[in-house]
Amino acid sequence: MKRRLLLVLTLMLALSLVVAPTLAQDRKVVTVSYTQEPLTLNPLYVTQWFATNVIDMLLTPPWFIDDKQQAVPVQVTEIPSVENGGISEDGTVITLKLRDDLKWSDGEPLTSADYVFTYEMIMADGNTVSSRDPWETKVASVTAPDATTVVITFNESFAPWLTALFTASPAMPEHTLRPIFDAEGTLDAAEWNKTVNPGSGSFILNEWETGSFLSLVPNENSFAGTPKLNEVFFRILADDGTSQNAALTTGDADIGVFLTAGDAVELEGAGLVISQVASGYNEGWYLNVNPDTAHPAMLDVNVRKALVMAFNRQQIVDDLLFGKTRVATSYWDGSQYVRPDAKPYDYNPEEAAAMLDAAGWVDSNGDGTRDKDGTELVLRFIASQRQIRKDVQAVVQQAFAEIGVGVETSNYDNFFDTYGEGGPMSTGQYDIGEYSGSSQFPDPNTADFLCSEIPSDENPEGANWIGYCNEELDALFQEQLKTTDPAARVALFQQIDQIIFDEAVWVGVWYDADLWATNARVIDAKYSGADPFWNAVNWDVSS
Amino acid sequence: MGRYIIRRLLQAIPLVLFVSLTIFTLLQATGDPLATMGGRSPTKSEDKARLRRQLGLDKPLLEQYLYWLIGNDWAKFDRDGDGIAEAPGTRYGVLRGDFGTSIVTKRPAMEIIVDRLPNTLLLMVTAEIITLFFALIIGVISAVKQYSIFDNVLSGFSFITFSMPIFLVGFGLLYIFAVKFREWGLPYLPTGGIFDPQEGRSVSQLALHMILPVATITIISVAGYSRYVRSNMLEVINSDYIRTARAKGLTERSILYRHAFKNAALPLATLIGLDLPFLLGGAVVTERIFAWPGTGRLFLDHLELLDYSVLMGLLMLITVAVVIFQLLTDLMYTWLDPRIRYS
Amino acid sequence: MATATVKPVRLNLVEGEAQAQSPTQRVIKRFVRHRAAMFGLVVLIGVLAYIIVGSFIFTEAQANYNDTSIRLQAPSAEHPFGTDRIGRDILARTIYGGQISLMIGFLAVVVEVGLGTAVGAIAGYYGGWIDAILMRITEAMLSIPSLLLLLVMAKFFAGKFAPIPFFGRTLSGSVIIIILILGLTSWMSLARIVRSNVLSIKETEFVLAAKALGVPNWRIIINHILPNTLASIIVSLTLGVATAILTEAYVSFLGLGVQSPTASWGNMLTEAQEFTVIKNAPWYWFFPSLLILLTVLSINFVGDGLRDAFDPRSDNKV
Repeated sequence: MKRRLLLVLTLMLALSLVVAPTLAQDRKVVTVSYTQEPLTLNPLYVTQWFATNVIDMLLTPPWFIDDKQQAVPVQVTEIPSVENGGISEDGTVITLKLRDDLKWSDGEPLTSADYVFTYEMIMADGNTVSSRDPWETKVASVTAPDATTVVITFNESFAPWLTALFTASPAMPEHTLRPIFDAEGTLDAAEWNKTVNPGSGSFILNEWETGSFLSLVPNENSFAGTPKLNEVFFRILADDGTSQNAALTTGDADIGVFLTAGDAVELEGAGLVISQVASGYNEGWYLNVNPDTAHPAMLDVNVRKALVMAFNRQQIVDDLLFGKTRVATSYWDGSQYVRPDAKPYDYNPEEAAAMLDAAGWVDSNGDGTRDKDGTELVLRFIASQRQIRKDVQAVVQQAFAEIGVGVETSNYDNFFDTYGEGGPMSTGQYDIGEYSGSSQFPDPNTADFLCSEIPSDENPEGANWIGYCNEELDALFQEQLKTTDPAARVALFQQIDQIIFDEAVWVGVWYDADLWATNARVIDAKYSGADPFWNAVNWDVSS
Repeated sequence: MGRYIIRRLLQAIPLVLFVSLTIFTLLQATGDPLATMGGRSPTKSEDKARLRRQLGLDKPLLEQYLYWLIGNDWAKFDRDGDGIAEAPGTRYGVLRGDFGTSIVTKRPAMEIIVDRLPNTLLLMVTAEIITLFFALIIGVISAVKQYSIFDNVLSGFSFITFSMPIFLVGFGLLYIFAVKFREWGLPYLPTGGIFDPQEGRSVSQLALHMILPVATITIISVAGYSRYVRSNMLEVINSDYIRTARAKGLTERSILYRHAFKNAALPLATLIGLDLPFLLGGAVVTERIFAWPGTGRLFLDHLELLDYSVLMGLLMLITVAVVIFQLLTDLMYTWLDPRIRYS
Repeated sequence: MATATVKPVRLNLVEGEAQAQSPTQRVIKRFVRHRAAMFGLVVLIGVLAYIIVGSFIFTEAQANYNDTSIRLQAPSAEHPFGTDRIGRDILARTIYGGQISLMIGFLAVVVEVGLGTAVGAIAGYYGGWIDAILMRITEAMLSIPSLLLLLVMAKFFAGKFAPIPFFGRTLSGSVIIIILILGLTSWMSLARIVRSNVLSIKETEFVLAAKALGVPNWRIIINHILPNTLASIIVSLTLGVATAILTEAYVSFLGLGVQSPTASWGNMLTEAQEFTVIKNAPWYWFFPSLLILLTVLSINFVGDGLRDAFDPRSDNKV
């Protein structure tokens, strides 16, 4: 009996092994490998990258930021500007002119009322939304004078409006959600959060099996054109460095995201196309200059420059990152806001040693480490638990030992905790901190260098962890925040960038663009750092 | 007998409560779910303060535990941040069947767990059955032919697989049968998931995708079980009554299968009974390697996010199952072995 | 008629008593006869020699010396085990990593045995409500799936211990964490075994006599009862080390174990997880895996041998 059962099972298995690979159907399906499952599909509740990507395909914002970091109108007829009256003279009123053919996937028209409803939902107390920024503090009102016009009034001129208005929270269907909100008092548990039906994107959600996959199919009622594909399939894999690559190599997945440099080399060898997608991130050294917490040597700009010049960043890029990126020149590397002719500091250990000598740090007691006034030059170099950073720390420790600078390395799980939470960076328990940071991409604004953001007991959420206070820089930052003219803003940031470079308080290690792999059979996929799948409607596959 | 069952169940209640309180405390003390909520864009401080209030995370630990246990619809909360508690809570508590909602996905915790349970059970039960099948065969034959080449080779092999970390076996199988076989043009197995989107869902797809994860779990588990069967079988074979049976002239076959085997199987039944509830937790490492959407992976993912509703739900489910299965196993033991009687 | 082979008892005519072998001698003799156990012992000694002698040949500085230009090189004369991702010598790292892995294995078991024996002995000896409470706690901990409990505890303790200086080396605080959590999640089964042993010994005559003589309880436990549970404890200890080494590998694989720069065999395997490395640098994971396998395997053999050696019935098996 047992033997017969075994025989039957073996036969079944053998049969399925033979049959399975030959049954390829003729549908145009692109499979995306995801290493995290979207938590929910309601944009109000989630900022998770894996979720917002899918949401972008199901709910359209007023405009997308494309792969060249330019705004492309989607629901609006044109991008608001001072010339077309979309932005008022003083910059406090922004008017969105919607297309008149917008509709939801169930056929209902999409109007400005949906935009006002969305604003209401963000501000409603019953909803545990992930963020009310900038609505709560910067926006005075959102009104809809007619069906295709939305007027947003700010308290004062707000430069980052392009990346903050209805892009993270696209318009949601009032006709479906208002009844739910009125009945339950909250949208937290709405069924719509799992289905986004009706939606406004070029795709609709066909099926979502938790832990396993999401399947998106074309929206027949899409106002933005019908997709060429029959299905986009998101396969949820483990975040372990191997499963995704195995799937991409064997063709079980067509698109893979957030590859390491080693993966990229491997996959390129297997015939996949590797793209670098700028997402605003640059791996950098944050040098502590807070006189209360930093090593006294750190307060001297020449010491900081010497440290940078003793750090062979090109070697890190070549050896640890397989040459798959380059040394970062600026906090804003990868965008238009970088200072002109930006170049990183040279690698010159001899000059670094000379600069340290000139600054008074010499090895007077012969113990191998420089010192001055009785203090040894031993610096604390901290990072998170990521392997690549630990590797960099080991390399730097050895390199610095050769010029007489001692380095103590530490790695933290709670690396990004705020001052109030006792995080190592925010409380200044370091001299060199390395991590990959970004501005409020695609907007260049950041709070990392403002005097008012230095963490303290009175300000436990402060974001200026390097403790840098420069009034000239502060003034420039205040000004750019109110400058709605794009060209003027770029000029201001270039000045900002120059100061930061000259002061060597932030030093670029490598340009941390996201690495994506695409199977050669996928055509016309252009990835944007801000809205990665913005042109999914145009994707196609070759047969 | 009835009284014994009731007494055991009553004794189990404080145990389960104690476990729940311990784990709840551990989870809360481990970290702040809001810290990881933002992912790439960290949550702003005003939003964190508001979310903490809205999700009830600003209350002291024991109060939160109380709400988890008996709900909070009898208490009032401050919804709009003005400092005045005016709205009643919406939870009924675990004792009334409400395991709360996930902090991050906002869906009911039990729903999330129950969604994944069938996948896990499918994988684990299949693996358990196949493991038992091979463990019995190997264990019995090893015992009967003790110290023969068969026994030595199999014992050696099972010791080796027993001594290997499971992820090595998993990755090894994945690499050889999924990646390399495909490269070499041989019929190959898939790299993960439970079906291929080009093919669609079907029984054959499911079976195909189950092969590698089941093989991984089986290889590691067979070793332990077969050693256990072997040592029990040996003990029984060398016991007096078997010697008597031989002396009486019964055939070797009937001795082995009718007497020895049944008595050796009894402790194994106990072992299985005690192991069964842990199947609910899935195979954390295997599910990760093969992207199997089961409860093991669910636990890992939500542990990262410190989503305590889902984590507590899963752990309590397993704990209660353990208590019930322990009772069932003890009862079954009594039924099978007439020498044991509980008052 | 079958002739039973009886061991001849040598009569010592001078002293007039049969010179029987002491229990310890019998145990050792049975152990030596167990082929697999002897094989295991030899391999284990080999591994220990590798680690101890190796640390005299390679300094720790050499184990940590990195040169990214020679990263991921295949085994060669200069680097017999190849180099790792930042150009460190893998042979040297397996030596120092082995020290850590074995140290973790051993210390975790010390915690396990310490806790398990204490709980089991106290519960078994004193009985009553002490027994009831301790046993309920034990059962409660057994009800929780151990890997899940391990993960929760690892996250709980993460980052709470500073690096510690240890015989001239600086070890990451995560080493203490993993020792603690391995010990704290594995003491339960030993507690139950010790308790049942203690229960059966408690009523024997020599214990009752000791009590009657007024010997204090703790002395009875330590001097009389525990030595008789030694067999279970030793077997548990041995197999526990194997389990601890394997579990450390799992937990490190899941990212919660020993953290770099301290090397352990487990976290060397995690570092080797990247697909590029699996495909192109098999030596990176081959050597740590081989060492884990050999160590755990030999410990399992030795433990198996010890178990058989302590079991008097195994005399009948040839």
